[in-house]
Amino acid sequence: MSRAPFTPPAIARRLLVLALPTGARGDTIAGDLDEEFRHRAAGSRLGASLWYWRAACGVSLRMSADRWRRRHTGPPPPPRASLMDTLLQDIRQGAYTLARARRFTTASLATLAIGIGAATAIFSVVNAMVLRPLPYPNADRLMWAAETLPTGGVMTLSWPNYQDWHARLTSFEAFGASRRVTYTLTDAGDAMRLEGRQVTWDFLPVLGITPAMGRPFQKDDDRPSPVHPVLLSDSFWSTTLGRDPNIVGRKLTIDGQPHEVVGVLPPGFRYVLDYAVYEPVGVVGSGDGFPDRGNHVGLLAVGRLKPGVTEAAARQEVQALAVALSREYPNSNSGQGAHLETLASRFVGDLQPRLIALFVAVGLLLLIACVNVANLLIAHGATRRHEMAVRSALGGGRLRLIRQLLVESMLLSTAGGVLGVAVGAALLQALLAVAPATLARIEEVRLDSVTLLFALGVTVLSGLVFGTLPAVIASNAGSSQMLVRAGRGGVAGSHRLRRGLVMVEVALAVVVLCGSGLMIRTMLRLTNADPGFTVGNLITAKYAIRGGDKWTDASIRTFHDDVITRARTLPGVTDVALTTSLPIEGSNWGSVFVVGDQPVPPRADIPSAAFNPVSPRFFSTLGLKLKEGRVFTDADRENAPTVAVVSERFAKRFWPNESAIGKRLKQGWPEWTTPWREIVGVVNDVKLNGVENDAPLLVYLPLAQQLSPSVILIARTDGRTAGTGQAIRQLVTGLNSTVPVYDIRTMDEVFGVRVAQQRLTMIVFAVFGSVALVLAAVGLYGVVSHGVADRTREIGVRVALGATPRQVLRLFLSQGAITTTLGIVVGAGAAIGLTRFLKDLLFETTPNDPLTIAAVVVSLFAVSIVACYLPALRAARVDPTSALRGE
Amino acid sequence: MPSPTPLPLGEFEQLVLLAILQLGPDAYGVGIGRKLEEETGRGVSRGALYTTLDRLEDKGLVRWKLVAGSAERGRLPRRIYSVSATGLTALRAAQQAFRRLARGLDHILRDPSVK
Repeated sequence: MSRAPFTPPAIARRLLVLALPTGARGDTIAGDLDEEFRHRAAGSRLGASLWYWRAACGVSLRMSADRWRRRHTGPPPPPRASLMDTLLQDIRQGAYTLARARRFTTASLATLAIGIGAATAIFSVVNAMVLRPLPYPNADRLMWAAETLPTGGVMTLSWPNYQDWHARLTSFEAFGASRRVTYTLTDAGDAMRLEGRQVTWDFLPVLGITPAMGRPFQKDDDRPSPVHPVLLSDSFWSTTLGRDPNIVGRKLTIDGQPHEVVGVLPPGFRYVLDYAVYEPVGVVGSGDGFPDRGNHVGLLAVGRLKPGVTEAAARQEVQALAVALSREYPNSNSGQGAHLETLASRFVGDLQPRLIALFVAVGLLLLIACVNVANLLIAHGATRRHEMAVRSALGGGRLRLIRQLLVESMLLSTAGGVLGVAVGAALLQALLAVAPATLARIEEVRLDSVTLLFALGVTVLSGLVFGTLPAVIASNAGSSQMLVRAGRGGVAGSHRLRRGLVMVEVALAVVVLCGSGLMIRTMLRLTNADPGFTVGNLITAKYAIRGGDKWTDASIRTFHDDVITRARTLPGVTDVALTTSLPIEGSNWGSVFVVGDQPVPPRADIPSAAFNPVSPRFFSTLGLKLKEGRVFTDADRENAPTVAVVSERFAKRFWPNESAIGKRLKQGWPEWTTPWREIVGVVNDVKLNGVENDAPLLVYLPLAQQLSPSVILIARTDGRTAGTGQAIRQLVTGLNSTVPVYDIRTMDEVFGVRVAQQRLTMIVFAVFGSVALVLAAVGLYGVVSHGVADRTREIGVRVALGATPRQVLRLFLSQGAITTTLGIVVGAGAAIGLTRFLKDLLFETTPNDPLTIAAVVVSLFAVSIVACYLPALRAARVDPTSALRGE
Repeated sequence: MPSPTPLPLGEFEQLVLLAILQLGPDAYGVGIGRKLEEETGRGVSRGALYTTLDRLEDKGLVRWKLVAGSAERGRLPRRIYSVSATGLTALRAAQQAFRRLARGLDHILRDPSVK
């Protein structure tokens, strides 16, 4: 044979040699198998290998067993009861015991299912949003970066600054940017508004995303061209374009311009949202103020760190570059810095502290549940003193007894865990149903294997937590005198312990309830906060005029005017206005400005305000109060003198001691040629960016003088809001079918979206708080009523000696009250220490809000008195003769 | 009951002893295993074979001598087995019992396929 002889499987042979006796005896056998292997290998190599494995294993096993038998002459030792056998026995016994003690088991299982279920549900949210990496390859190296204002706030990048970042940063192996845009698609029937992103050609590769179909963007795509290339999301391709197999190469009319589909992104891909269309940002060319370094055009950067580069190092580099750029371009960049954080933390954003608070709360709840079950177990153990004493007298070792009891708790926690996962799944469904769909990564929330593993861990841990102490106590019954005492009387020690546990439970409940109280108060403050305008009976609808050259400023103005005129005649509509930003929803245009009669400050200190072009009847439609001067009229047209209306805060800031009327201001940097505007009116402040943020400096411009093709229509109705939204849509598309109408909402809904996170947090906390309260009350009730049952004889003696029912009642009530008070004191102390971590989640509420703490203390005390009163009443009704006869 | 000199033999032990006698000077592990497989028509576990050989040796029924191995088996030595006198006695006793019990049953025991 020319090739090397085929040798037996090395691992099998090594195994064999290990098992065989050393010396000639072993060698002959190894040789035999080698020889036979070669014979067989001449036929089939695979067959030979398989045979060798079988033979080697067989020989190894048989020879080892045989040798062991020879060495231990005499009969093999009798099989001892193995650990497994006794464990099985314990499990059977435990299941039997639990099944018999039905009330105890039901109460424990319900408590555990709630605790584990709540923990599982909250964990699956935390896991999806915080713990699980973003669904991109090596997502831990993805960073998000933006510029910062001199005041510290985050600001989008200007195009020249981005290009310098892209060229000069060395911490990243890939770096790109993108901005949010909306498009209008006019091929498919009625005009359709699409959410999209303009991206640098290398943006998607930074995320590690390549199209599932077609090709990615190339450098050449990232420049102006007559036909814009676009990538589509899988869902847009599926729903709107019917999964057209020939989509690549197809032309779509977007914003009146031809776009060519070059590919479809993989299913499930999202960047913050599920954007339908991606387009290279370079198609903008010199439009949109892109060449202007001072014009922050909405770009936000992402970068993939080079291996080995830390987040801190990258941050340092970006910030150093921003400082360098502010020296190189003082006119546009002075005072500006840079901000960098992980993409994952940016996605979840301010939700993270909220989730952590919820997670801590659910942990406390679980702890309360465990303490409660421990309490029930101790009570249950007390009723089994006799059983324990007998078992121990019959030779059950103490460890064996403890093990038996631990097995019972494990059975209990396992059943509770199974129920808990079911409860958790249901809770999660409920949570997702009330959660706003705009929450980042909400679509990733589900019960997955990690969550189930967590539930398993929690189950085992809780079984140990609530099982160990009661098991040790109950097994104490294994002393012989217990058999004598077991028949009557209580064990003072275990009772004291149960009181201690209830105290802990009350203390934990105080902490959870304080958290709930603060959240409820925050929510109340938010809903009752004065936004500065009348919220009720307002309908809002957005429309965007797109489509290239077909529109002129004049035709856009006419279109807006037509919409207002016709909308005013809709049934139920009393007033109509157009605006470019909605209160509460947020400003769409922030800008620097200069004030006429005051010295121009250094560049870094030039103030900025929210600018909002509005139609004349904006102020009356929203119900704003005119403080001074006049509001806009139809006479404030494009060729009339340029004017502005400012907010009260604006007026007070710049002219604290005089009237703002007649003063002048100019939007933009000092050197800009934007027109000076005369302030003609002052109106009250309006909450522009959420309810929780203060009203900003606000400047209103006449829409006719500062034209915008995308506007929001606001209609005040007489209460009949039902059909109005649809009527507005028909009205606008009736005027021009290429103008899409979207986001039709009542102002109440706009409010609801903004406070959705707070509302969700409040609901969850409120549920946790109620559960904690109930569990604490149940625990207290259990301890007192058990105490009553235990001390029936003592009560009988007391009553026989002349104690009145009132005195007996007071005895038990006061004992319950002492336990509760101690718990409340400890809990309040802990709450005062812990609630300050909730500070960022509160609105106009201090973490140690005295009213909240007082309310919690009073309600807990009241509930616990009721919980004690019922069993105490039973004690007061004890009949001394029957109590003593029981002996 | 006075203990009979020949030890009782199991079926597999008898087969192994017979195979050794058949093979003569070639009676080593590989040969015995193959002979048994050929004659019985079933696979023979090598583990069972070697432990049985050890057991037969313990009982003094077989002996062996070491012979240098060929290149084919990496020069590892071979054990050539032979049946001892005690072994022959035990085998004879066992076979006699078989034959006595099978006496007169030829018409039943003969393989019908061998005409």
